[in-house]
Amino acid sequence: MELTVNGKVHEVDVEDDMPLLWVLRDELGITGPKYGCGIAQCGACTVHVDGMAVRSCQLRAGDVNGDVTTIEGLGTPEALHVVQAAWVKHQVAQCGYCQSGQIMQAASFLELNPDPTDDQIDAAMSGNLCRCGTYPRIRAAVQDAAAKLRRA
Amino acid sequence: MKYLPLCAALLAAPAAAQDRPQNATREEGLAAWERIFTVTSHPRCANCHVGDSGQPMWEGLGYGGQAVHGMNVQAGESRIGAESITCDACHVISDAANVTPHAPPHIDDAWRLPPVELEWFGKSSAEVCAQLRDPERNDGHDIASLIDHLSNSAFVAWGFTPGGGRSAPETSLDALIHDVTLWGAAGTPCASE
Repeated sequence: MELTVNGKVHEVDVEDDMPLLWVLRDELGITGPKYGCGIAQCGACTVHVDGMAVRSCQLRAGDVNGDVTTIEGLGTPEALHVVQAAWVKHQVAQCGYCQSGQIMQAASFLELNPDPTDDQIDAAMSGNLCRCGTYPRIRAAVQDAAAKLRRA
Repeated sequence: MKYLPLCAALLAAPAAAQDRPQNATREEGLAAWERIFTVTSHPRCANCHVGDSGQPMWEGLGYGGQAVHGMNVQAGESRIGAESITCDACHVISDAANVTPHAPPHIDDAWRLPPVELEWFGKSSAEVCAQLRDPERNDGHDIASLIDHLSNSAFVAWGFTPGGGRSAPETSLDALIHDVTLWGAAGTPCASE
């Protein structure tokens, strides 16, 4: 089947029911999305499909119906996405394992709701677990990114 | 003998529209309602039929009383979580078999909460009875369209076969459709009147 990931078309020979996360990591070598739990309880595998956050461990390859974006395609070191820039500014990451999922979730959320309340930020990000407990910095970075987007 | 498989298939098929009850007494209608309420009050159904809190529940799933949906999920005024995180970020729209315990179920329909007016969670039999017969508060349904909804909704069908060890109402979807038809034929009686 054909999958468009980070703007590039890939032909992959996989079963329809293979989770997208497996396709990305094991077939295409795109390892930004992480395996955490496999049942959408942690958010580490979050990617975008047509801009919407999706837990890629849950989405079967055969059900992908749009362009996939992973953390590798969100921004570049030269031109960081506003959320990535906020992550750097607030030094959010500790071990970093969950951070690609956190950033992808935050980026999609701010696209959907560019003027969020603090409660909405908490609700949007509560499905992404961070075992290092970087939550206060995550919240500050999302608030900062939202403020920048409002001024843009 | 060659007709036996056909007979078995017919016996197993859902009751055809012409087989459904056309007339019923008030007593039959009230008895049907009591069976309907065992479905509407079952956590598998009521957990998403929540009011303007917009917060789905995880009641009856082993997480303790009054357990709300994990991850601080807020479906918001949009009822699809557009203000924070959409239901389908985790609940994929697909017909995949739901065999994995604790994984977010897949359903082949747009994930959303029912309208606020269709709040069932924590409501009494009398309250839900009055609501379900009132098109102003039941998403505009008469009995015929309510039966059509029950017959065709992927959400309703999933509620009876949720998979993954999840609990389900004790009755069947066919029995529910029969009871709603009976309740309608009796004039949608409620015990409180």
